Amino acid sequence: MIAYDKKKIDNGVLIDEADTLYKGGFISKDQKKFIEKELPDLKSQGNILVRIGFFLLGCFLYLSICGVITLVGLSSERVFFEICCYIFAVIGFVGIELLATQDYHNHGLDDAFILGAFLNVGAAIAITTEGYEVIIALFVSVASLFMFLRFLHVLSMLVFCLAVTAFLFFGMFEFGDVGKTILPFVAMIFAGVFYFVTKKIIDHLAESYYYNGLLLANSFCLVLFYLSCNYLVVRELSAELLGVEVKPGTDIPFAFFFYAFTLVVPVIYLVKALKTKDRIMLWISFLAIAFSIYTIRFYHSVLPVEVALTLGGLVLFAIAYFSIRKLKEKESGLTFKPDRINHSDAILNAEALVVASAFGMKPEVKPQASPMEFGDGGFSGGGSGGSF
Amino acid sequence: MKKFDEQATQSLFEKNLITENQFREIKEYRDLSIFSLNAELKLFLYLSVILFTSGIGILIYENIDSIGHIAILSLLLVVIAVCFFYCFKYSKGFQKEETTFEHPVLEYLVLAGNILTCIFIGYLQFQYKPFGEHYGLATLVPTIVSFFCAYYFDNRSVLTIAITGLAAYIGLSVTPQDLLKSNDFYASQNLSYSAVVLSVLLVLWVIYSRRISLKTHFGLIFLTFALHIASIASIANMNSYDTITWILFSIILAGSTYYFYKASYDYKAMSLYVFIIVYAYIGANIFLFRVFENIDFSDIWELLIFLLPAYFIVSIVLFIKLIKNFHKEISE
Repeated sequence: MIAYDKKKIDNGVLIDEADTLYKGGFISKDQKKFIEKELPDLKSQGNILVRIGFFLLGCFLYLSICGVITLVGLSSERVFFEICCYIFAVIGFVGIELLATQDYHNHGLDDAFILGAFLNVGAAIAITTEGYEVIIALFVSVASLFMFLRFLHVLSMLVFCLAVTAFLFFGMFEFGDVGKTILPFVAMIFAGVFYFVTKKIIDHLAESYYYNGLLLANSFCLVLFYLSCNYLVVRELSAELLGVEVKPGTDIPFAFFFYAFTLVVPVIYLVKALKTKDRIMLWISFLAIAFSIYTIRFYHSVLPVEVALTLGGLVLFAIAYFSIRKLKEKESGLTFKPDRINHSDAILNAEALVVASAFGMKPEVKPQASPMEFGDGGFSGGGSGGSF
Repeated sequence: MKKFDEQATQSLFEKNLITENQFREIKEYRDLSIFSLNAELKLFLYLSVILFTSGIGILIYENIDSIGHIAILSLLLVVIAVCFFYCFKYSKGFQKEETTFEHPVLEYLVLAGNILTCIFIGYLQFQYKPFGEHYGLATLVPTIVSFFCAYYFDNRSVLTIAITGLAAYIGLSVTPQDLLKSNDFYASQNLSYSAVVLSVLLVLWVIYSRRISLKTHFGLIFLTFALHIASIASIANMNSYDTITWILFSIILAGSTYYFYKASYDYKAMSLYVFIIVYAYIGANIFLFRVFENIDFSDIWELLIFLLPAYFIVSIVLFIKLIKNFHKEISE
C-alpha cells in the first residue's frame, strides 16, 4: 500500500534520530554527517519556510496545468464544465504518484498536489450532486484516507478527520430537529469512542509508518470531545441551527451540564497530561483552559477587559514563577531543565516576532490630526510608545 | 513515541553508526524519563508580560481623565523601578558577548520594564509635552532606552522594539503586519528612499559590530529587518509609472539580493536565504512584465498559457538546486 521504498522511510527515521541525538550532544557532528551520507532517504523538507515556498510553487504548477486543460476543453462548453473537476482531481492523483516515484515526501510539492486533489474531488462531487454535503464529505474522507495510507501524508489525516466529522454532522442534520438537538452528545460519544480506538491502535503498532497520523487523529478526538459540549459552541450552534433564542432569565436546556463540562474537561486534560507526560495533551489543555475563560467572559462580563488583562498577567506570572521555583532543581521526571532530546522551543524563537508586531512603535501621528485619533494610535500618544 | 525512538537508537547501534558508550549514555538519559516544562513555563512568563502591559496600557487610556495624572505616572514609575531594580541587581553588567540571566524570569522583567517605559514616556508626552512639538524626539527617546536595554541586558525582544522605534523615527512602520499594507511606498518616493537608507545603515552597523565583535548574535535580527524593508520598498516601487524609478529600484533590489545572498551564507541562515529567493523571484517576474508590457501579446496569449507549466517546472528545478546547494554549503 505504501508508495515509497520502506527502506528509505526507515533510513529517514534513523537520520532524524541521529539529528536529535546530535542536537542533544550525544554524538559528534562528523558522526551525524557520516550517518546522513551512509543512509539514503526520501527527499523531505524539514524547514517549514522552504516547504511553504515549494507548496506555493506546486500550487502554481497545478493551476497552470489545469489552465492548459481548460483552454483545450473550453470549446466543448457545458460538458466540460461538468467533468473538469474530475479531470483536475485525476491530475492531482497522477502528480502525487509521479512525485512519489521521485521520492518526494513532505516536501511541499507533494502537499500541493495532495491538497489540490482533495479540493477538486470535493468540487467535482459538489457539481455532480448539486451540493449534497453528506456525499461530498464521504468522498473527500475516502480520498484523504487513501492518500494517508498510500503516501503517509499526515496533513491528509487532518483532512480525513475533518471530513469524517463533517459527514457525522451533515448525517445528523438528515434526521431533522431531533438530530440537531442530540448532536452535541453524539459528537461527544463519537470523539470519546474514537479516542480510545486510536489509542489502542497506537499501543499495538508494530511499525512506525502510521504513527504520526494516528497521533494526530488521537489529538483531534480530544479537541472534538472538548468542543462538542463546550457551552459557547453548543449555545451558538443551537441558535444557528435550531433558531433557539435565549431570552434573559432563561438558558438553553442542560445548561448546567454544559457549563460543568466546559470547566471540568480542561482540568482533567491538564492533570492527565502531567501524569502521563503527554505534551500534546498538555498543549490542548492550555488552549482548552483559554477557550473556557473566553466562554465564560463571552456571556458574563465578570471584570472589565483591562482589569482582567492586568490581573490575568499577574496571576499567570505568579503561576509561572512558582512553578519554575519548584521545578528548577529537579533532575528527572517533571522538570524545568531543558530536555536534551525533545526540544519544544520552536515557539520561543517566534517570541521576538510577536513582540515586534504587538509592541512595535509606529510613526508619529501629526499634530494636525483630531485629538481623538491622536491618542488612538496605540499608546503612541503623539508619537512614541508601545501600542497595544 | 518513546518505543519507536528507542528502536531507532537501537538500530543505529546495530548498524555500528554509534558506539556502545554513546548508546548506553543515551539509554541512561532516556530512563530518567524527563518531561521538561521549560518552553511552556517561559511562554507563560512571556504571555503574562504581554497581558499585563496591554492591560496597563488600556487602563491608562480608558481612565485618562478620571484618575489623577500624577497618580498614574507615579504608579507606572514605581513598577518600572521595581522591574529594573531586579534586572540591574542580578545582571552581570555589560558584556560584548552573548549573556543570559541566572534566573529566566529576569529576561521577561526586562521586557516588561522596557514596554512600560515606552508607555510612560508616551503618556508623559501626551499629557505634559516635555518635548514640546518635537514629536520625533518623543519616538527617539524610547528608542534609545530600548537600544540601551537590549545591549546591556542582551535581550532580543527588546532589540526588535528598538528597531521598530528607529524606523518609526524616520516615518516607517515596520511591525510585521504593517510592513506590507500600511506603508504607502507608492504615494511617497521619499519614504522609499529613507527605507533603503535605513537598511543600508542597519547593514553597516552589523558589519561594524562584527569587526569590533560587539554582540555578533544580534546581527541576524538587524539583517532580517534590513532585508525585508529594502526588498519590500524596492518591489513596491518597481510598479511605479516612472521609468527611471522602476529601473533604479530594480537595480537596488538586485544589489540587495546579491549582498544578502552572500550574508545568508555567512550567517548560515535559512530564514534569510528563503526570503531572498522569494523576493528575487517576485522582482524578476515584475521585471519581465515591465520589459514586455509594451508588446502586444493578444495574438499569442494561448501559447503563453501553454508555456506556463514549463515555466513553473523550470523554476521548481531551479529552486530545488538552490536549496540543495545551500544545505550542502552550511553543513560544511
